[in-house]
Amino acid sequence: MTLNKDQIGGLIFLCLSLTYGYYAGQVDMLPGDEFEPFNARSLPLALATLGALISALLLTTSSLGKDRNDDTLSLAGFDLLLTGKMLGLIVLFGLALHWIGFLLSTALFLLAGYWLLGERRPKMLLLSSVPFAIGIWFVLTQLLDIYLAPGQLITLLMGA
Amino acid sequence: MLDGIFTGLATAVMPFNLMMVVVGCFAGTFIGMLPGLGPISAVALMIPVTYGLDPSSGIILMAGVYYGAVFGGSTSSILINAPGCASTVVTAFDGYPMAQKNQAGKALALAAWSSFTGGTVGAIILLFAAPALASVSLSFQSSDYFALMLLGLTAVAAFSGKGQVLKALIMTIFGLMIATVGTDVMSGATRFTFGSIDLIDGVSFLLLAMATFALTEVVMTIMRGQHKEKEAKMDMAALGSMKLSREEILEVAPTVARSSVFGFIVGVLPGAGATIASFLAYGLERNLASAKQKLQFGKGALRGLAAPESANNAASTGSFVPLLTLGIPGSGTTAIMLGALIAYGIQPGPRLFVDNPDVFWSVIISMYFGNLVLLVLNLPLIPYISRLLAIPRPILIPLILFFSVTGVYLVSFNTFDIQMMVVITVIALLLKLLEFPMAPMLLGFILGGIMEKNLSRSLTLSDGSFSFLWDRPLTLSITLIAVVLMLLPLVRSLLERRGKTRQANGPEVAVMEGEG
Repeated sequence: MTLNKDQIGGLIFLCLSLTYGYYAGQVDMLPGDEFEPFNARSLPLALATLGALISALLLTTSSLGKDRNDDTLSLAGFDLLLTGKMLGLIVLFGLALHWIGFLLSTALFLLAGYWLLGERRPKMLLLSSVPFAIGIWFVLTQLLDIYLAPGQLITLLMGA
Repeated sequence: MLDGIFTGLATAVMPFNLMMVVVGCFAGTFIGMLPGLGPISAVALMIPVTYGLDPSSGIILMAGVYYGAVFGGSTSSILINAPGCASTVVTAFDGYPMAQKNQAGKALALAAWSSFTGGTVGAIILLFAAPALASVSLSFQSSDYFALMLLGLTAVAAFSGKGQVLKALIMTIFGLMIATVGTDVMSGATRFTFGSIDLIDGVSFLLLAMATFALTEVVMTIMRGQHKEKEAKMDMAALGSMKLSREEILEVAPTVARSSVFGFIVGVLPGAGATIASFLAYGLERNLASAKQKLQFGKGALRGLAAPESANNAASTGSFVPLLTLGIPGSGTTAIMLGALIAYGIQPGPRLFVDNPDVFWSVIISMYFGNLVLLVLNLPLIPYISRLLAIPRPILIPLILFFSVTGVYLVSFNTFDIQMMVVITVIALLLKLLEFPMAPMLLGFILGGIMEKNLSRSLTLSDGSFSFLWDRPLTLSITLIAVVLMLLPLVRSLLERRGKTRQANGPEVAVMEGEG
């Protein structure tokens, strides 16, 4: 049995609503708040119920439709590997910011990004990453007076 | 009202704010020209920049970017048949055939003049409609606000298109769910933080908007392999004349007037927006045309280009009416602006033009300037702006990714936000592949906090009873409209399904009857 897009979406949101509802019941409240007409759990519980109901409705309507198998999710033609690499690069950029600071991580992020997307000319790779990173760093730190931490690794090395 | 207009004029003509209009229009035109990036992404990319500005300048900049992006989208539709956003898809129907006939210059000029007229007509109607509506809504109480939020959320779902209503409703609820993450403002209780300090303040609006629109759209182009496409080659020498003859102006004048008013009305409806306006205006114009003129549609008809261009700009202006007067965004782009205003500590809605008249009026006045800038500066500079499109995609895409990510990082200086952006982007990509609309989610997220506050207040005042929904005629009326709007598409789809089943069963019944 192949699930169509609506069925997959409906199932995902049904699970999400049930999980959300479970955690909504775990929200800590101040003593006596449970007797108030509206407390921290009220809206989340209402949303969980509504979400579950509408997801179930979407699941039902998409299962009853005659064209239910026409709209299946197909990932053919999508470059998932490259997408994963680019997203991974953003995660690494976030980590690098903490360790090696803004300037170096920006230059490396751009360099790796251009490379991943197919740019191979060394001159182009360097000229469109390093001067850009220096320019942005200069604007932020010198013109806009924004403090950018140098990075923990750099501090450690410089300190040592 | 005159005082307000003068206040707005004084704020809008300040050199810095004028510069914001110009910068916004240029930046918007460039971003709007990039295939895949539309006004929502363009405005989202500008949010970090506006945080350093005062509210009036920030909103003026965003309004300029909005107009510029719609205009930029039209330009790439006409020149390379690649609409930058959904609202300019129709522009390509007749704009691109004109460009193929070496009339690109004329098509661009007509698009710019139509946009200008549409935007100007829209701005003039807004000038009178917004204060009138705002003064009526000054008598609103918390129960009315709650009903209004409900109306805004259901309207977005109702206008989301055929077969999308349930999905839009689910996305709205998803947005409301995300809004509950963090500390509850009423009781101080933490919700759904799972012990993480980074989630105590909740999910930031900027992060969510950037991840779901700017980042997701760009990553989507990588996923589809669009970064491998050759940069659009545009022969600027073949643009041709940018002048329109007297006969041509007379031919399109009634179309532009009709479509401007029509577009504004459609734009005012929450959730309808510029895309629906442009499609409807094109359809209307085609229906009004004579049989001979009808044949020209799709082959470079002037009226076919003027109608959607006037309508989408007028609708963009119209979508500011519910935003400025009721605090309900009329489109995804105005939803982002609403979030930005809330981040400034300004609550759009009936009290905006009383509490912050400078913001209210300067936005309206600067809209006019925005249209003027597009016409006077952007149009002659199109050959130069479009050269930016020649930047190779493998260079352009990482740069946009960098601006999206650092835009969020430079506000919080917390690298956790970058990791969270990636997680949200992955979720948004999956939802996009499953064809779930993103705008209702953002709207739910933005309105969630205000809605919960007003619901809590109303329930406390009515001692836990839901009678506040029907005690006041105004609340009851708004709630009823919301219920009708929500039920209408469901009933319609059920009726259509029944009709289809009957049609499908029809022949079988006949055979059976025949057999009998």
